[in-house]
Amino acid sequence: MAAFYYTAMQKIILQQLAPLFLEKEKVAQSEIWNKEIVINTSQKLQLIAPSGSGKTSLIHFLYGLRKDYTGQILFDENKISNLSAEALAETRSSHISIIFQDLRLFLEHTAKENIEIKKALNPFASAMPVEEMAKILGITSKLHQVAKTCSYGEQQRIAIIRALQQPFDFLLMDEPFSHLDESNRHKAMELIETEAAKRNAAIILADLKAIEYFKADNILHL
Amino acid sequence: MNNTLSFKTIAPFLQTGQNSISRTIGYIGLAFGTLLLLCTVQMYININQLIKDKNPRKNGFDFVSVTKIITNQNMGSDNRFSNADIDELKQQPFISDVAPLISNQFRAKASAGNIIPFSTDLFLESVKDDFIDTLPPSFKWQPGQQDVPIIFSADFLEMYNVFAPSQGLPQLSASSIGAINIQLECYGAPGIETTFTGHIVALSDRINSVLVPENFLKWANKTFGNTGDVPAARLYIKTVDANNANFLNYLQQKEYRVNKDKTKFGRVKQILQGILTGLGGFAILVILLAMMLFSFYLQLMIARSKDNLQLLLTLGYSPKWLSNTVAKKWIPLYAAIVIAAIIITELFQYLFQKNIFGSTEALSAWIHPITLIVAVILFIICLAINFRIIKKLLYKL
Repeated sequence: MAAFYYTAMQKIILQQLAPLFLEKEKVAQSEIWNKEIVINTSQKLQLIAPSGSGKTSLIHFLYGLRKDYTGQILFDENKISNLSAEALAETRSSHISIIFQDLRLFLEHTAKENIEIKKALNPFASAMPVEEMAKILGITSKLHQVAKTCSYGEQQRIAIIRALQQPFDFLLMDEPFSHLDESNRHKAMELIETEAAKRNAAIILADLKAIEYFKADNILHL
Repeated sequence: MNNTLSFKTIAPFLQTGQNSISRTIGYIGLAFGTLLLLCTVQMYININQLIKDKNPRKNGFDFVSVTKIITNQNMGSDNRFSNADIDELKQQPFISDVAPLISNQFRAKASAGNIIPFSTDLFLESVKDDFIDTLPPSFKWQPGQQDVPIIFSADFLEMYNVFAPSQGLPQLSASSIGAINIQLECYGAPGIETTFTGHIVALSDRINSVLVPENFLKWANKTFGNTGDVPAARLYIKTVDANNANFLNYLQQKEYRVNKDKTKFGRVKQILQGILTGLGGFAILVILLAMMLFSFYLQLMIARSKDNLQLLLTLGYSPKWLSNTVAKKWIPLYAAIVIAAIIITELFQYLFQKNIFGSTEALSAWIHPITLIVAVILFIICLAINFRIIKKLLYKL
């Protein structure tokens, strides 16, 4: 197995990346597809992507879940297409965290169990305690409730807290606030930015339209 | 990866409790198969140890004596082996060597002097040294030598000890028999008579005869019997396996009678070994079926936990760690099954040795190291199969 255990990941590089399934015109119009893009740690990148432009696909490509693309994605110097399953697992537990659009919770388990299973894998020592995060996001009473009985908005907050348990250099978010009210969006964004700052990590936020309370230092249209 | 992680962390996310009947039957089958295999191996070793002493094999060969079958039809004719018969026997692929048992062609009489008032007419035979199981260095004779070494059949000594008390003769032990001075009187043509001193230098389990050195008998046959080349009535055959079917068929077809007594134990042993090999095969089959049942259980468990396992991998759990952790969960169970089987096998061995053999030294009360090695190998194989199945299933997700 190729060793892939670096202390911190410095950058993600997209080289002429394009999904196999996307129409050529859409690729041509995009500011991301088929371009050379470098994302550094501590960068805040907002991706604005209307439906059907391949937003979720891009997030999945970056997380190593899918490979149906042309071009390359590099974690520092390593092409992710060359990473072993073990190296990919190591990257996901230590360097890249994610909030999926479809959340991907263990629906039969409680909110707390969902968070703990991630925390157990590789806890980040300086992270805010789970109870405190739950309090900020207003789901303290939901922690011991089975996830499938929580509302989608509550599930979304569980997924956010789960993503903040591990160390990471990059945080990927795919419409993370779609089911939150205005007040919770602000609180969640603030919590995420605080936790990302502790790790000196980059935030990559993909959404249908610009999110004004996310102080992005770069906005790209997909 | 955080090293405080254990199976406990992920256990709630796996549906291990499902399908417990097939799992339980799998365990029982595995335990039964393992016990049967270990008992079979131990019995196989027991039989080898018990029968080894009674099967007079020398350097991996069986030695059997053959004679021609005497029937009412051939009674009157010469039923000794010609040189052509011997040559034909030697050419058979299953026969390693053949030696004639030459007998005396003169009258020989033995008496034990005054100590044991016993005298009998005697037959003497000789065979190539190579065929004698107990050959002491003193079994040699040179012309002019007054003292003749004798190798005596152990069966004859037993027979003597049976009738000696009723004849007012002392019974003799195997070690004391060598001390007796035997007067060996050889008679030739009228007036020709020589008395030698005979000493029993060894007892033979294999050859039922009174053996003297070959050169002595040749010389005596010439001197007293006036014959040189004597056809033999008995032949000794050296073969790799006296129970070889081709060998026995050949002897039957030639109407030669084989000394069955010497191959009897070999045959019993062969039959028992056959039965045990069958049982061992059955045990392995049971183990395989149990492993298969168990693998179905694993497949089902992994299939039912598929979504959760996939999500664990997505969250960053290492596939290697996951498969090893899941597989390791069954180590204590396999170990318990194998250890229980070893303990029960040892108990059987103890009872077998104590009750059937009355704690004799012919058999150890402890199970043989080979049985333990088989148990360890079985344990390792079960674990390896388990690891492999889980790894294969997990990497397929």
